[in-house]
Amino acid sequence: MKRKKKFHIAYAVPNMVLLLFSFTCVFPAIWLIYSSLKEKTEFYKSPVALPENPSIKYYLSVLSESDFLKWLLNSMRTSILSLFFILLIGFTIGYILSRYRFRGRNFVYAYFLIGMLIPVHALMVPMYIMFTRLGLNDQWFTLILPYTALSLPTAVFLVESYVKSIPMEIEEAAALDGCSRLRTIYMIVMPMCRPILITIGIIQFFYIWNEFTFSLILIDSKELMTIPVGLTLFKGQFSTDYPKMMTAMVLAILPTMIIYFIFSKQIIKGMVAGAVKG
Amino acid sequence: MGSIRMKKSTMLLCLLPGVVWYSLILLVPVILAGYYGFFDWSGGVNKIFVGIENYIHVLKDSVFILSLKNNLFLVVVCLVGQIGLAFVFAFMLNSRHIRWKGLHRTMSYFPAVLSAVVVGFVWSFIYDYNYGLLNAFLELIGQGDKAQAWLSNNKIAMVLVAVPLVWQYIGYYMIIIMSAMSSVDPQIFEMSEIDGASGWKKAVYITLPLIKNTLIVCVTLCIAGNMKIFDLIYSLTGGGPGNTTSVMAMYAYKSSFLSYKMGYGSAMSIVILIISLMIVGGSQAFMRYFTKEDER
Repeated sequence: MKRKKKFHIAYAVPNMVLLLFSFTCVFPAIWLIYSSLKEKTEFYKSPVALPENPSIKYYLSVLSESDFLKWLLNSMRTSILSLFFILLIGFTIGYILSRYRFRGRNFVYAYFLIGMLIPVHALMVPMYIMFTRLGLNDQWFTLILPYTALSLPTAVFLVESYVKSIPMEIEEAAALDGCSRLRTIYMIVMPMCRPILITIGIIQFFYIWNEFTFSLILIDSKELMTIPVGLTLFKGQFSTDYPKMMTAMVLAILPTMIIYFIFSKQIIKGMVAGAVKG
Repeated sequence: MGSIRMKKSTMLLCLLPGVVWYSLILLVPVILAGYYGFFDWSGGVNKIFVGIENYIHVLKDSVFILSLKNNLFLVVVCLVGQIGLAFVFAFMLNSRHIRWKGLHRTMSYFPAVLSAVVVGFVWSFIYDYNYGLLNAFLELIGQGDKAQAWLSNNKIAMVLVAVPLVWQYIGYYMIIIMSAMSSVDPQIFEMSEIDGASGWKKAVYITLPLIKNTLIVCVTLCIAGNMKIFDLIYSLTGGGPGNTTSVMAMYAYKSSFLSYKMGYGSAMSIVILIISLMIVGGSQAFMRYFTKEDER
């Protein structure tokens, strides 16, 4: 009897450690959410206490007074268009690299591999110079250019290894039935690659949604900013109004939070697959 | 095979847009940076050719060296903190005596999907002198006199910067390590238990060697990630106080965009590129060498 009890205590320790750890992982977000419902004076009296009379006053003021909705729209447009190009181009190149052994194939493969090793932030200054020279900076499409290009290596490699697992016979049968090559690729093979395309989409969506550096240097006008950069602007403006700043932060993480807690299983699986294979 | 042949021109047409787009963003800037690095240039019309002077200056620049040291400090702390703790937690979670496994997975991974800017701001609130959580907590446990303006303290600023970084990615590495552990044949663990291996022996002598390859991937990701860190520093401290928490990307940003030393910033970009590639490549070679030794 005594022995059994001792065992239970031994297992309680790791359980407690993990619970504490998991709690600290979500607590800052929870703290942000309930603090954003507090009055300024109430927050300053005690930053940790729960709100006495929760109000959404700050939400209304953030949404109506600032460019927040514009930033949200910019982030969404940039993400969607970038993802479209990443999936289309990444799939095409990955497919060809997987199916054909032509001269220069290994060169193209290695060329994309290098892109994964280059620390992108080293490109910050030169990319700014190039974009301003070509007049490509500070446009609505500006950020799609780096985001798509920098996501291509992951997309290409994941597609390349996935296509290998699809039997060639299907495509041969389609060819015998008179289906053109390009039609086979996009109408038959691409739908079969759906799982890997979803994985790529998930990984790159979070990358693009949270990307900060290029957004900071390539966009100047307030109307074209994405959420992360907009948020830094906000911090400068309302540095003394903590609950208001926290409200903006809650709004900033809300989309990712909702998507994450609905699809957490697929997201975790997809991001792990991407990290390990890529 | 013959039936799925593709015309050379079609194939070229398929590859070309992607390759051109990718080169424009990746290759052209590197070449440009190498070129502009040879000039004293503030972004305007006037450029003065100065040879390799900029490059030499970068290597002698005390702030740059401090930034590089900070990058390396973060690499070391994160290797131990992120991957070490992730391994311990993953090993605990793998045990059958742990409850709510799904919940732990979902919650611990959550910080990894947040943007670094938000994480930086949240932690600047936590460290805040007047209304921060940390000082409030110290007050609560009766240590109120230890409260201070945390991020203004030169001596511990770097450690305080490392904490959110470690915190954000433990879950990420934990999940990767767990997926590797789950692919290990459970019979191996059962046999070791029969043979009398205790918990920690099991972790070190059985689990660790079996998931070696995954750990190498984690270490590489961790090193590469910390060499390019920028967003978190920008939003948490801005490199301050002074340049205490500056990192390479932060300093390149400041020299180029706040001091308008474009030529110098370009040269620095090239130096950062080379240093990062050397460290990532070097660590790769190092690990491959040692794991091969093991197998003999």
